[in-house]
Amino acid sequence: MFARLSIAVSALTIAAISGASAETVTLTAYSGIFQEHYTKAVIEPFMKKYPDITVQFYGMPNSAQMLGTLRAQKSSPQIDVAILDVSVAKAGTDEGLFDKVDERVSANVKDLYPNARAEGVAGVGVTFDNLVIIYNTDQVKTAPTSWDALWDKQYEGKVIIQAAPDIQGTTFTIISNKLAGGEDYKTDVSAGIAKIGELAPGVQTWDPKPDVYAPIANGQAALGIGWNARAQIYSGTSGGKLGVALPKEGSGFQINTINLVKNAPAGEAAKKFIDYALSPEAQAAFTSEMFYAPTNSKTVIAPDALKRTAADDMDKMIDIDWLAVAKVRDGITEQWRRRIIPLSR
Amino acid sequence: MTTATFDIPVGSQKPSSTAGIAVALLLPIALVNAIGFILPVFNLARMSFNEALPGGGIAEAFTGANWTELLQDSFYIELILNSIMVSLGITLATLLVSYPIALYLHRASGAWRTFLTVLVISPLLTSAVVRTYGWIALLAEQGPVANVIASMGFQPPRMMFNTTGVVIGLTEILMPYMILSLMAGFGRLDPKVEEAARTLGATPFRTFWRVILPLTLPGIALGCLLCFVLAISSFITPKLMGGGRVFLLATEIYDQAIVTLNWPLAATLSMLVLIIFGAALAVYSRVLRMIEG
Repeated sequence: MFARLSIAVSALTIAAISGASAETVTLTAYSGIFQEHYTKAVIEPFMKKYPDITVQFYGMPNSAQMLGTLRAQKSSPQIDVAILDVSVAKAGTDEGLFDKVDERVSANVKDLYPNARAEGVAGVGVTFDNLVIIYNTDQVKTAPTSWDALWDKQYEGKVIIQAAPDIQGTTFTIISNKLAGGEDYKTDVSAGIAKIGELAPGVQTWDPKPDVYAPIANGQAALGIGWNARAQIYSGTSGGKLGVALPKEGSGFQINTINLVKNAPAGEAAKKFIDYALSPEAQAAFTSEMFYAPTNSKTVIAPDALKRTAADDMDKMIDIDWLAVAKVRDGITEQWRRRIIPLSR
Repeated sequence: MTTATFDIPVGSQKPSSTAGIAVALLLPIALVNAIGFILPVFNLARMSFNEALPGGGIAEAFTGANWTELLQDSFYIELILNSIMVSLGITLATLLVSYPIALYLHRASGAWRTFLTVLVISPLLTSAVVRTYGWIALLAEQGPVANVIASMGFQPPRMMFNTTGVVIGLTEILMPYMILSLMAGFGRLDPKVEEAARTLGATPFRTFWRVILPLTLPGIALGCLLCFVLAISSFITPKLMGGGRVFLLATEIYDQAIVTLNWPLAATLSMLVLIIFGAALAVYSRVLRMIEG
């Protein structure tokens, strides 16, 4: 508290001394390891490049909380730029919280992959992540190559999955639906639901705490699903106890978008930051730092970092239209609660 | 006569000035409550009539759709009944394990009593999160409790990530509240009355049933009210120990507000919890009147 206060005071003093030329861009994005690595790979180089702009990172645990804060500040925004999940960004766009990010904001927008530019969302994709199998290397001796490993009877009671409505559960439904030979996920996921139902009795918990990575790293569970970028980081910090595998059947993407808050107090400086965040340089730096796949097609990544992202397996990825999923998500959640979770009681 | 006329204004002035002081003293807390509690509750009530758009948007509206969904959907009806039943079960379990402790503490005296009271209260010094993680370690599949059961030759049941885990965890967490409420209500329990019952030939059980229990009913009612309200609104323990299988009102409000972004439905559920609190209070005051009347 005191440290924060003194930082605020010194920030004010600096602002007062350097006068109008110093600008502050307030960015909100995920707290924790995302904040740590994003600051190192993107924010610090940006501030070096633009010495008269300070970027303040306002970390929040999840996209929903960011949306809640932006909603509360609608009449007088304190945040300039928000990095959050694409489906939440869509809700924010519909409520008029954001200004459009297009070529006028950043020339880099034209180089983005097509699925980084969702129709009806004001912001654009800034990171791609994908669902992977994560496993405890003491309990699972050979790295799984297929999603079928989760259904393997020898791991019964040792599987952990974050259930829908969390998007891990939603993404897993779409993948399972494809594995089960189901129809288009936008119309019917019942094949996927039935397939996860077969897995349900062997699931230890549908709501792993504090997240899905810790129980697997410490051996409470053997297998589970998680996001690649975080899994790669925890794989390193757990001393190899946590293994990460991208199954041969492919996976689905999660997209974080970068959004410009309407009436953002920082104005042009906020646009400068967005432009930098989308540049090949910043994208490459963040990919080597935290293994999110880049959204800018011009990004050149070092081969060892590339191997730890899904950037090489783009063709195997299910193209998930998150805006279409947003419309059927309530239905998917309902089926989880009625047809999957009760099977595991 | 003069003294009388002199007295009257003083007498009538006195209550009005104390009333003034009372108002002045109550004003700050009334203001804090109005801004910090009443206003948000009204906001919540208003929010419960808004319309939720798919994907987390909110449309300003005045619709009863959230309420009808809640009261017609079998999932939510089950969730509400389940919350009430689980909370009642936890309250009963807490009462059964706390009552003997409270009675013993009431009868203890001196330093021993102080020591025991501190022991009872000390769990409150650690947060519920820490204690819940403690229970997760104890009740885990290969944990100490499972090992003891297995060593006795039984197949250990699943005690974690289901309703059993939530009930065990919350019962322990709520015990200090129950014990303190019971002790507060044990004031009427005079040892002389018990002795009288015993000298008149009552068996220990009869003494308990006809003398001790009726005298301690106010404490029981207070403890049960407190534990029920705390159990139904508890969030951390069900979230950590429920394994996503135990659907309760508090965890559902969190999911709707934070994960699904359906604020109107979350607001409706919150209002429902408030209504259940009101009902619990009404039952409590009725029970209290029955005991005392």
